[in-house]
Amino acid sequence: MTMIHQTGDGGVSAVVERPDGRIVIDNLTKAFGRQRAVDSLSFTVEPGSVTGFLGPNGAGKTTTLRMLLGLIAATSGTATINGVAYHSLARPLQTVGAALEASSFHPAHTGLQHLRIYCAAAGLPARRADEVLDLVGLTAAAKKKTKGYSMGMRQRLGLAGTLLGDPKVLILDEPANGLDPEGIRWLRGFFRHLAGEGRTVLVSSHQLAEIQEVADRAVILNQGKLVRAGTMDELSAGTSTAVVRGPDLAPLQLALAEAGLSGTTEADGSLRVRADELTQIGHLAFVYGVELHELTLEEFDLEQLFFTLTEGAHRGADLSVPGRTPSMTFQDPGAAR
Amino acid sequence: MINLIRSEVLKIRSTQVWIWMLVLAVVFTGLITLGASADAVRRYESGQPVVYYDLFTTSTSASFALMILGILGLTTEFRHQTITPTLLATPNRWKLLAGKIASYGVFSIIYSIVCIAVNFTVAIIWLSAKNVPLEYGHGVAGGVVKVFISLVLLGIFGLGVGALIRNQAAAMVLGIVYFGILNFLLAGIPFIRKVWMFEPGGAFAVFTSNGQMTGLSSDVYVITPMAGLAILIGWCVLILGLGAVLSLNRDIS
Repeated sequence: MTMIHQTGDGGVSAVVERPDGRIVIDNLTKAFGRQRAVDSLSFTVEPGSVTGFLGPNGAGKTTTLRMLLGLIAATSGTATINGVAYHSLARPLQTVGAALEASSFHPAHTGLQHLRIYCAAAGLPARRADEVLDLVGLTAAAKKKTKGYSMGMRQRLGLAGTLLGDPKVLILDEPANGLDPEGIRWLRGFFRHLAGEGRTVLVSSHQLAEIQEVADRAVILNQGKLVRAGTMDELSAGTSTAVVRGPDLAPLQLALAEAGLSGTTEADGSLRVRADELTQIGHLAFVYGVELHELTLEEFDLEQLFFTLTEGAHRGADLSVPGRTPSMTFQDPGAAR
Repeated sequence: MINLIRSEVLKIRSTQVWIWMLVLAVVFTGLITLGASADAVRRYESGQPVVYYDLFTTSTSASFALMILGILGLTTEFRHQTITPTLLATPNRWKLLAGKIASYGVFSIIYSIVCIAVNFTVAIIWLSAKNVPLEYGHGVAGGVVKVFISLVLLGIFGLGVGALIRNQAAAMVLGIVYFGILNFLLAGIPFIRKVWMFEPGGAFAVFTSNGQMTGLSSDVYVITPMAGLAILIGWCVLILGLGAVLSLNRDIS
């Protein structure tokens, strides 16, 4: 599909819609008065990947998604899907499925009626509404008015709406909001199902454990700005920690420092060492004859990274234990020189 | 555009609002026709000429229901936040507005036909029962066409009010107060009444009249029914345009 656009200098340029499913956010900014909800944001969602779009409340996630979908006008910058703006897509519902809020239903419509309305708008057969209701497990409630739906059912109906046009790109804003544990388990399976089909999925969520489990990539936002983006491997590099416990760890601490491994000594005497695997630490303990009671690896935790990167966004009262001794750092003495 | 109209028609049909508005339109038309028929019988029996034009154009009273239906067309989308999925399916807001105009135009045509049928049925039965002769001259055919056009335009006007004022309660109150109260008051207020025929309610009244409006102050600038039609169309275009530019094009957050 080729869209013809008027350029600023009066010329005409052709923008080709490439059905690859790539989402490109380029220098996107949205200002509400003097407040910048989104500030020069740039990132790419690769085709066929599941990307977690993370950030604390008010970080600008929803505003970004709404700009991407043409619901909010950007102050500057561009947001494209398949190389074109959302409003330039030839068949929007067949290209992108988006669920932005769990309450966008007329209370007097049944779930089936709601979906059939958008089937008609997209030129899809009415039976597609029945099919997607079955996919999200809502067939039994198809003829129930949406005002009687629970939050979980509303979320499922919203997700059913995203699948109407069998789009390659899915954009989901907080799909786990209001879901009970059973619903969250279902959502995890739903994500896996989407990922397995090779769809491009951009999902904003507070369910970091779920995201870590299903996402290939993550984009982390704070106060409207990008703070980190990359594949899970890139994000996890250098973030794992070895926990070492024993009656006398001083010789091992020295050996670790000399070996170039840095870390901290906790108040209970245990060591927390930045390491991606345990072999070297175990070997050094053996060589120096250090008795170990515990040697475990705390692997990458997206939640931990999230809180580190968005530190301050949720700052409240200090709930730490009074009188707790702060941890001490140790590193290779040579590194300090 | 056909898909969009199908979707919008389905949207209207999926709730009971259109049925209740149709009932309202039929009841209004029926009651006003009963009053007009009684007046026609009284005139006939007292030897005065029966005003057949007024008798067979009482369906204009259904304009309220059409306007309310139009107002609900867009304000409901904002009230229940269905504007988000609607715009995801139809991202071009001008196209969406055009689709709504076409869909509500279709419904307005159906309402108009039903109301005109009710108007004629009630009047014919009543006058026949009272042995009053039925005459369809006196500009009645033209009047029926005017009623038909004016009701469709009122539906579209209501859509424009809904596009301009997103808040459903505010838009409804404004529409009802204007057409139900303010419009009549404006016809009597010195100076303002001079241009009464140029405002929507006045233009509607002039267009649907037989060109001989009575009861107006002598200082009102009088225009022809066709000028009234042009002004009414102008108001529809203006309100819809303002609604599209000032309100519908705003961020949906």
